[in-house]
Amino acid sequence: MGAVQWLLKKITKVFGRNTTSLYYVLLYREILKEINDITKDEEDSIIILREIGKKAATESCERHTAVFKWMPGSPKKVIEYFELLWVVVFGKELEEGDLTYEELPKEGSKYNDYIVKIKSCPLCAGYGVDDEDTFKFQKVNSKNSEGLACGLTGMLENVANFILKIKRNDYRISIVEQKCLAKGDEHLQFICKIYDSLEWKEFSSVRIQDKIKSGVKFEESIEEDVIQETKLDIIDKLQEVLSLDKIEELLDEPLEGIKRKVAEIIEDKLNMEPSHFFDYFKNYEDDLLRIIGYLAVHLLNEYGGLIEKTLKNNTFAKIAGYLFKQLREFVLLFIPIDVINDYHQLLISFLDGLAPAEMVENVRQFSGKDDINFLFEGAQMALENLGIDFSELKDNVWEEIRKERENGLLSSDQSMMEKTEENIPKIIKIMQEILMLLSDILTLPIRVLISESHYGLKTAINSVVSEEEGLFGSIKDRIDTIFDYVQELKQ
Amino acid sequence: MNLTRDDLIQSDATMNQMRNMVYHLERFMKLNEVSEIRENLRRMGRNIARTYIKYWKPIDIVKKDNLNDVITTIYKKILNSSVSVDFNEINKIVTVKDNDCPLCKYHFNDIDVAGCEIIAAMLSEIITCLNKGKSSLILEPLDILESRTFGHKSCIQSFKYREGGV
Repeated sequence: MGAVQWLLKKITKVFGRNTTSLYYVLLYREILKEINDITKDEEDSIIILREIGKKAATESCERHTAVFKWMPGSPKKVIEYFELLWVVVFGKELEEGDLTYEELPKEGSKYNDYIVKIKSCPLCAGYGVDDEDTFKFQKVNSKNSEGLACGLTGMLENVANFILKIKRNDYRISIVEQKCLAKGDEHLQFICKIYDSLEWKEFSSVRIQDKIKSGVKFEESIEEDVIQETKLDIIDKLQEVLSLDKIEELLDEPLEGIKRKVAEIIEDKLNMEPSHFFDYFKNYEDDLLRIIGYLAVHLLNEYGGLIEKTLKNNTFAKIAGYLFKQLREFVLLFIPIDVINDYHQLLISFLDGLAPAEMVENVRQFSGKDDINFLFEGAQMALENLGIDFSELKDNVWEEIRKERENGLLSSDQSMMEKTEENIPKIIKIMQEILMLLSDILTLPIRVLISESHYGLKTAINSVVSEEEGLFGSIKDRIDTIFDYVQELKQ
Repeated sequence: MNLTRDDLIQSDATMNQMRNMVYHLERFMKLNEVSEIRENLRRMGRNIARTYIKYWKPIDIVKKDNLNDVITTIYKKILNSSVSVDFNEINKIVTVKDNDCPLCKYHFNDIDVAGCEIIAAMLSEIITCLNKGKSSLILEPLDILESRTFGHKSCIQSFKYREGGV
C-alpha cells in the first residue's frame, strides 16, 4: 500500500468520531429492524436500508469534499482502494489478508468487473446469537437480494461514485453484496461493476418505489452534478514520487535544493504549478502541520512497530503519555524562542515562492510556538492512535501515583481531585515546587547551549550552502580526489 | 476465523455516516406516518443495551453512591464520550451533558426527535439490566433538554432515578 493511501487511512480514522464497533453494529441492526417494522417485508427492508446508507454517505461526503480530492480519479483505482473506502465508511481497518480481489474479464468493455471478498464481516459478527437479533434472514430468499451489509454496501457505492463525480470522471461503479455471513455464506462478498455514463443512467433509472412490494413511501435520491473547480488527479501521480525513500532523498538536500526539487516534481509529474498544488492546503495550514506531527510519529513506528508494541502495555503507555506531556511543556521551556522562530522562518522561506502568497501570509501569521503546538497536537493524535489514552492521564504524575480506586470505575466527581489534593502531604507539594523551580533555573545553561550550537550551526550551514568554494566545495573536491586515486589504483 | 461480538468491544468504528443514517431513518418514519418516533428510538436504545450488557458491563450493581461513576464509565467506554453528570437530590433528577454526542452533531430543521434518545434509553436500560432482580436503583429517561440536533451547543439528557427498585 502506498504511503499516501496509508496516511489517508490513518487520518480518516483519527479525525472521525469513534464509538466501540459493537455499539456501531448494534445500532445498525436496530435501524434495519425499525425499517422492517414499517415495511413488514424483509426483502424491502434490505432495499430501504441500502438506500438510507447511500443517502447517509452522500451527506457525509458533501460535508468533507476536500478529503475526497485526494482520492484517485479512475474507477479501477477506486476499486483498488477498496480498503480505504471501507475505512472511510466504517472507520475500522481490516485485518491483514482479510480482503482479496478477483478480476472478472469483461469483453468489449474498457473495465473489467471485480469481486471483493472480505473474510470476516464485523456487521455479521455473532449475528443470531442474541435474543434481540430478530431480523430473519431466512425470509430473504430472492436471488438478487443482498444481506446484512446492504446499508454499508450502499455507503461504499456512493462514496466511490462521489469520488468519481468530483474527479469529473464519467464512469460509475455499482457495488452489490453477493454473499453474507448472516445469510449463511462463508464470507462477505461484493461484486463491483463499472458503467459508462449511459449505462449508469439506465442502470440507476429503476425507482426504489418500483423495487419494493410493501408499498411503503420512500423519498428517492436525485443524483446531482457536483460543481467543482477543475483540479487534476494528483494522488495517483503523487504516489509515484512520495515514497519514503524519495522523501529521505529530498531531506538530504539543503533548502533551495529541496525547493527546486519539489517544484520540479510538481511540474513534471503533476503537470501543475507548485502554487496550484499548495493551493490545496490553503486555509488548512494548521492541519498541515498537525499532519506532519502525526506522520512523524507513525514513521518512527514504521521501524518494527516498536512504539505500538511498547504502548500495548498499559503502564508503558501511561509513562510515555506523561513523558510526552512533559516534553511538550519542556520544548518551549528549554529551547529559546529565537531558535523556534528561526525554524518558523525556515518554513516560511520554504513555502515562499512555492505556495500561493496567501498561504505564505497565513503561515506568517503563526508564531514559532504555534508551529510547535500544531506539531505536538498531530503527534498526540498519532500516539492516541497507537495506544495512549491521554484522557486517562492525570494533571501531573503525582496524581497517578495515588492508589487507583478498587471498583475500577472512572471518577467523574470534579471535587474528588480537589479533595485528594488536599490529602497529599504538603511536603510532596513543596518538593514538587522545588523541583519545578530547579528545572526553571536549569533551563538557563541549556538555553545558552542550544543557542550557541544553533547559531554556530547556522553560521556553518550558511557558509557551506552559500559558497561553492566553502566547506561543501572543499569536501566535494576532496572526495573527487579520493575517487580519482581509487580509480588510479584500480587501473 | 469469524469475528465475534466480544472482538467488537475491543475495536472502534467511525460514527460519521451511521449518525446520518439515524436521521434518514427518522425521515423515513415520518414519511410513513409513524406516530411514536421517540418511543421507537428509545426501543432501539433498549435493545442495544440488552445485547451490549451480555458482552460488557461496568459493574455488577448500581447504587446511588456509584451512579455518577457508572454513568461516566458507560459513556466513556461505549461511546467514547466524556460527560458531566449533575444530580438534583430534591427532585431526584440526573442530567448528563455531552459536548461531543456521537449521534448529534448537525442542526436539522426537519427533525423533531434527537438521536441521543437512543443513548438515553440505552443508559437507562443498562442500569435496569444490571439491577434486575435486585432491590436497588432505577433510572428512567425523562427528556432531552438540549441537543446539537436542535441547534444547541451540547446534548443534555435528563433522567429520573428511584432508589429501592422494583
